[in-house]
Amino acid sequence: MLKLVALLMGVCVCQPPQSVVRLSVAEAAAEVDRLFERSWQSAGVQPAERSSDEEFVRRLYLDLAGRIPAVSEVRQFLGDDRPDKRSELVDSLLDSPAFVRHFTILWRNALLPEAFNDLSSRQLVPGFEAWLWTQFSSGVPYDRMVRDLLTVRVDAGGADGVPALRTASSPAAFYAIRELRPENLAAGTSRAFLGVRLDCAQCHDHPFDRWKQGQFWSLAAFYSGFTPLDQAVRMQSAAGERRDSRTISIPDKGQTVEAAFLEGESPDWSSPRSAREVLADWVTSAKNPWFSRMAANRVWALFMGQGIVHPVDDFSENNPASHPEVLQLLADQLVAHEFDLKFLVRTITATRVYQLSSRQTDVSQSDPLHFARASVRGLTPEQLFDSLAEATGYYQPYRSDNPFVISAETPRGTFLELFRDEGDSPLQKETTILQALAMMNGEFVDAATSLENSQTLGGLVEFPLMTDEERLETLFLAALSRRPLQSERVAMLQYVQQSEAAGVALADVFWALLNSSEFMLNH
Amino acid sequence: MTMQRISRRRLTGLSGLSLLGASLSGWLPRLAAQVQQSGQRPGRSCILLWMSGGPSQMETFDPHPGHENGGPTKSIETSVPGIRIAEHLPKLASQMQDLALIRSMTTKEGDHTRATYYLRTGYLPQGPLTYPALGSLVGRALQVEGADLPACISINPFRALSPAAFTAGFLGPAWSPLVVASDTNADGDVSFQVRNLKPAARLSGGQVDERLRLLGVLEQSFLADRPDAPGRSHLQSYERAVRMMRSESVEAFQLEQEDEVLREAYGRNPFGQGCLLARRLVERGVPFVEVSLSGLAGEAGPGWDTHADNFKAVGDLCGVLDPAWSTLLTDLRQRGLLENTLVIWMGEFGRTPKINDNSGRDHWPGSWSAVLGGGGIRGGQVWGSVSEDGMEVRENPVRVPDLMATICRALGLDPAATNLSSIGRPIPLADHGAVAIEQLLV
Repeated sequence: MLKLVALLMGVCVCQPPQSVVRLSVAEAAAEVDRLFERSWQSAGVQPAERSSDEEFVRRLYLDLAGRIPAVSEVRQFLGDDRPDKRSELVDSLLDSPAFVRHFTILWRNALLPEAFNDLSSRQLVPGFEAWLWTQFSSGVPYDRMVRDLLTVRVDAGGADGVPALRTASSPAAFYAIRELRPENLAAGTSRAFLGVRLDCAQCHDHPFDRWKQGQFWSLAAFYSGFTPLDQAVRMQSAAGERRDSRTISIPDKGQTVEAAFLEGESPDWSSPRSAREVLADWVTSAKNPWFSRMAANRVWALFMGQGIVHPVDDFSENNPASHPEVLQLLADQLVAHEFDLKFLVRTITATRVYQLSSRQTDVSQSDPLHFARASVRGLTPEQLFDSLAEATGYYQPYRSDNPFVISAETPRGTFLELFRDEGDSPLQKETTILQALAMMNGEFVDAATSLENSQTLGGLVEFPLMTDEERLETLFLAALSRRPLQSERVAMLQYVQQSEAAGVALADVFWALLNSSEFMLNH
Repeated sequence: MTMQRISRRRLTGLSGLSLLGASLSGWLPRLAAQVQQSGQRPGRSCILLWMSGGPSQMETFDPHPGHENGGPTKSIETSVPGIRIAEHLPKLASQMQDLALIRSMTTKEGDHTRATYYLRTGYLPQGPLTYPALGSLVGRALQVEGADLPACISINPFRALSPAAFTAGFLGPAWSPLVVASDTNADGDVSFQVRNLKPAARLSGGQVDERLRLLGVLEQSFLADRPDAPGRSHLQSYERAVRMMRSESVEAFQLEQEDEVLREAYGRNPFGQGCLLARRLVERGVPFVEVSLSGLAGEAGPGWDTHADNFKAVGDLCGVLDPAWSTLLTDLRQRGLLENTLVIWMGEFGRTPKINDNSGRDHWPGSWSAVLGGGGIRGGQVWGSVSEDGMEVRENPVRVPDLMATICRALGLDPAATNLSSIGRPIPLADHGAVAIEQLLV
């Protein structure tokens, strides 16, 4: 059994996949659940309970719209009687602009992970996001999106040698951030789209994986037409790309290699296409198992907190998939559905696995490997701020000329800066002391929890027809998308009723809600 | 399909941390009781002066005036007969009796990202394991129970080239460094503050307490059934933030309390004032402080990465380094703190002995210098040497694990002591096979 699984996990591109039956969302979800049930049984794992509607609505809004639901949206979902309301909500969120925006940010993080590390890279982010936006809003299939990225023209022009990419909608930032260096581009491409971390093989044969230095540079050869950015600056020439270039010499070895795909196969150079177009064909091919598995793994990780292969872009013999059959199923179905990412999203969110509660009821649920409980994961800085804005009724001004440029001076800008972190695992999300201080004492939350300045609070306190209990419930719905537990209700109500000014006390409750881990995490 | 052969890396450690049981029940009142008065304490501390970019050994501690590789750099005498250093560090030269120069550092890592990681954690980046930086290791080992300032404080770090080298890694978020950035106003005055330390003025102390109590109620119900890392991290960081808010030690950041003359002596720039802050923090019991020198005016960047115009650039940087470091040593000594404070000076590698076409020096990990001084170190000596042309180590090569072991011993720590990684594997402070340099230790 294990051998078959190993073969399926297959490190070999040469075997074309057996013909796959195209399943519907419901069928695929049911199959995923069946595979998990089998896995839980054989491992003696007791899965958590199904998530409550309150848990589900919050999680789904965060995962699809990038923010918590508004009070009205929560009430509407809770009051909805239809048996398929969960999948209906998925469909309606997938059609919303918020989804486009959220997915733009998620894929920007995935494809430009180093973007915020230095100032010059940062400037390229808005143009990249604009490109992603058009891809998602037009429903471009994933393989075409990646193909566009891999074949885009990159003009290394401009007086200072830096491509004029700052405002143009284009995926060229993928190249500029890597300084047009073939070795960086090979490593980046492999990691982002094939799930293979080749980095070590740049300088020597990989110490514990199978990749040889020659293979690394054969992949880099596809990018050999570029003149690396700092060289271009020194030469002071607008270096155009030599689109037919396909050999490269390995530094310090004096050996020249020709472009070849990962397993060493030679490309078919007979038709007059550029090296990168040939590479793009191979990478995005429906027959390339690396590509479809990596895509499936990434989408799984976005919704479940952790990939079936973890880290998400580190497929290797030393790092086996936790549930290889699930991954293969999702990969095959993605191909069968012409790389429609929304199909994967619908499928994953329809599974029992995704819809489990995050509340632990058995110790066997504690290992994230089993996916036996919904994970508690960090929010992206954007999710956190947008949720705060939603909860507090803060109106976010956007620059009309370029909505993708966030000024550092705005509350959103400062907030995003503070909460940006370098970790790549949402399951290991850390809150720093500075972040805690900003949430507790910072201007933004303070304004949002002061009667004079807060939209939500002010309106709530002044509204004459509500009892204190109802006001409390509204605050909980606004911040946590749920009603208070009995113990919380008692404690909070007592606090409000014993205070001199109910409004002030409610502001205190709101402050506590916004500073809770329940608010700041996705669960 | 069977899950029996779960690879070791997947075993998340629930061991060791029953934060929930201990903390959630009334964590706030317990916290208030624990806040301590600041005061002198005789524990050990460590100050790391981190030089981003790889400082040139030939223009700092290993000049070669007799050889063409030495370039125009002259050497000067120091307070220790027989030891000469580069002309750019005159003040430091008079403190040589407290410094041990290591001239035989050697690694194979010439890439900023990898080398920075290697020098700062003692390990090469490998697979999924994130090793903790020295500051987190030392902070954790030397932290006093109930201390109100974080154990590891990082002043003006430049992390962009190697972000993973600046974290607590598998030790977890409780040992993450507190990052403090300086502000320079229009008059050139440098100040440090931890932002958002004080609640809004209109809130009374009592009201702040009540808010925290309500927060405790919410945390209790949510986290009881969710023993995951993000929740624990949230709770821990809030606890530590509250501790800082209520502590008096936070006045360490108020440099205005210091004598003007002393502030001048350190140098009116982010690095100089950062060194002064480091002294104040160590004085208040912080076990580990690092101050980065990344650029002349504190700008973020690998300032020591002098591929071009090396001689002027290093001269300028030393103009900042020399007064700051030497004043720090003097200041610590005068306050009786030097004998318990280890001061480390290093970057991620050195620079090529051969000068390039741009009057610069490129990356050179094969033979370079680092300096140890203060607590636990026998100063006034040179360890190791390089060939006349500077191209290779001639005597006593020092690898990174050996340096780590020496640092541990100087701080009274056992280099073989281990921490549990996230997959349950014990990782020693210094890598296996590390040999501390006995002659450098007191």
